[in-house]
Amino acid sequence: MASLEPPAAVTPPSSKPNLLPLPSPTIITPSAAALAAVAPTTSSSSPATLSVATPLPTPSDAELVHIPSYSRWFSLDGISECEIRCLPEFFDSRSPSRNPRAYKYIRDSIIKQFRRNPSSKITFTEVRKTLAADVISIRRVFDFLDAWGLINYSPAALSKPLKWEEKDSKTSQHAADSPAGPSSDSTPPVRETTKWLCGSCKSVCSIACFASDKCDLTLCARCFVRGNYRVGLSSSDFRRVEISDEMKTDWTEKETMQLLEAVMHYGDDWKKVAQHVGGRSEKDCITHFIKLPMGEKLAGSAEFGSGINKLNQMKDDNSSNSSSSGKRLCLSPLADASNPIMAQAAFLSALAGTAVAEAAAQAAVTAVSKVGHGEANAHFRSLHGVQGLQITRALRRQVMSYVFLYSDASITSNGSNKLKSSEEARSGVNTMPEEKVNVEEELRTVAMVQMKHIQEKIIHFEEIDSQIDKEWKQMEQMRDILFYDQLNLLKHERSIRKTGQQAAEGTRAG
Amino acid sequence: MKPLPSTSSKTPVKFRMPTSENLVPIRLDIEVGGQRFKDAFTWNISDPDSEVSVFAKRTQKDLKLPLAFATQIAQSIQTQQTEFRSYKGQEMLTGEKIVPIKLDLRVNRTLIKDQFLWDLNNFDSDPEEFSKTFCNDLGIEDPEVGPAVAFAIREQLYEIAIQSVATARESRNAKKGRRGEYSSISSRSTGAALDLMKLFSNRYSGVRKRKEWDVFEPMVDMLSNEEVAALESMVEKWRDLEEA
Repeated sequence: MASLEPPAAVTPPSSKPNLLPLPSPTIITPSAAALAAVAPTTSSSSPATLSVATPLPTPSDAELVHIPSYSRWFSLDGISECEIRCLPEFFDSRSPSRNPRAYKYIRDSIIKQFRRNPSSKITFTEVRKTLAADVISIRRVFDFLDAWGLINYSPAALSKPLKWEEKDSKTSQHAADSPAGPSSDSTPPVRETTKWLCGSCKSVCSIACFASDKCDLTLCARCFVRGNYRVGLSSSDFRRVEISDEMKTDWTEKETMQLLEAVMHYGDDWKKVAQHVGGRSEKDCITHFIKLPMGEKLAGSAEFGSGINKLNQMKDDNSSNSSSSGKRLCLSPLADASNPIMAQAAFLSALAGTAVAEAAAQAAVTAVSKVGHGEANAHFRSLHGVQGLQITRALRRQVMSYVFLYSDASITSNGSNKLKSSEEARSGVNTMPEEKVNVEEELRTVAMVQMKHIQEKIIHFEEIDSQIDKEWKQMEQMRDILFYDQLNLLKHERSIRKTGQQAAEGTRAG
Repeated sequence: MKPLPSTSSKTPVKFRMPTSENLVPIRLDIEVGGQRFKDAFTWNISDPDSEVSVFAKRTQKDLKLPLAFATQIAQSIQTQQTEFRSYKGQEMLTGEKIVPIKLDLRVNRTLIKDQFLWDLNNFDSDPEEFSKTFCNDLGIEDPEVGPAVAFAIREQLYEIAIQSVATARESRNAKKGRRGEYSSISSRSTGAALDLMKLFSNRYSGVRKRKEWDVFEPMVDMLSNEEVAALESMVEKWRDLEEA
């Protein structure tokens, strides 16, 4: 009986604006708009850190209702996937009273009631008294809305920690609903901060983590053991992720120099590179190499055309080389345990989003196929625009380095390397002014957009102005007409009176 | 969904609320210390029992009642639940049953008096929908009226359902004993409903006579604060008289 299609849209009350301020109140450029969802990754990973990420609402916007950024999916017009996931009992037609229509009715009435007075917290009992439905359904929806900050939300999130504690003590059936809700929607923890955050207890994972690909959830060892996850998951869905110690130690300059030397000499032979650097394992070398800033890594190669072929070849090699990765559930489809660079690239591409990663990869490939380092460099820089995200930059760097590495392997002569490095130094200088130009261009487009806005507004106001003028003229005409009518009436009145008097005199005389 | 039984059959049906959802009306009237807590709401009988204590605690916290209330509330809900469940396995008669439902309630400042006919045979009926439409049509602004109306309807349906269980039991016993008297017994206890049906079948049209219009028209009245206070004090006096 219950279907999963959203019911007919209910128009929200026009008097209540329910749009919310985005966390970063900067001008939204076209490039940034796509990235805005990715930028506040730290804030979306846990509601407990929300107070840091979102700004406090200004006291002047009394009509605005604020909801946290992780509840952005919410809209009064329909039911989103998140709600279907967190409150499945309304959507699986197990009981006739729990259907999407009833859910929507309960949810909309609770939210409307709260928004009538958004500054005061609404209690469950108040809500319950005003809704004609069974109280348990009301309570479930109320708890759900409360946990997601859609009602009773104030940026000074006070009661959030309490909710987690409360939930931890209940059975996993009921407990896993709300805490897993916000966390399962979060993006996987950003590795660049070198910390994994557990999805349910919000503590930093130090030793080992358990990540589940099924619903993008990360749990620390304690929560995993305690079974503090959602109903649909089982322990086999989680894979163990060791936190390596490398992330915590820093590379000294000397080590970096050694690494670069080794890479230039030995190319792809990471064993020798690791030996040369001394004290670092192969994996460490590779991961650190990837993280190095771009200019240093361009060890160069003469044959760019073969670059693409190398890339494809290498990919095939990887798929055949995958040893134990087949058994493990991966965070992203490309994650290949045997090839750490590829895994890193895959992970970061999963973070940044498919569109961005696709664009970056494509750019890398096209850039590599073009002639000359300088062109490739400039191409890259123009792509990521003013707000240059670290993630996309790293990703592109990686792909570039990957491609270069493998095209490098085909060349053995050191002489050609020296030539390339001097070329690259020159091209490095050339890119500086280009970058400036790009920045200026971006600013220009921003200014253009703003001006267009203002222009449109001016046109609109002019239209209104002319309309008002027309109406004014009409009113004046009306007034004139009425005046004439009045005059006429008076004239007639007088003439009638005169004739009346005359008639009266006539009858008296006669 | 249960398929509707044919209108002329008197086959017994498993006990359930004659509405589309199996929701039970729960009434709370608890007195602890000097405080009295009255409440009425609908409860879904298929929800797990752990919800009872959660709900009781929630209510007690939201209304800032003393702690003793939570346990009392939970107990009261549980007794009413078990009572409902005790009827569960039994059968009830669902003949042609169109029963009059009367509404006579006061919610905050709104007074409602109404009377209408309800078809017990219709297991798709939904008191919540009815109350929603009722409040919308009559322009009732107080949001607490809707649930109160739905609750009143449900309560009355519940009572009638319980009665029909009793009659089914009686008729079963009667069947075992004396066959001939079966119909008379059943007709005696469900006399009110059957008479109504006879009334209907004699008419050529389903339209009521004019003189009956007033009886069946809903009446909604808004009281001022003083009237409310007066009414409440009167009710208190009656209650004290009864208890004394």
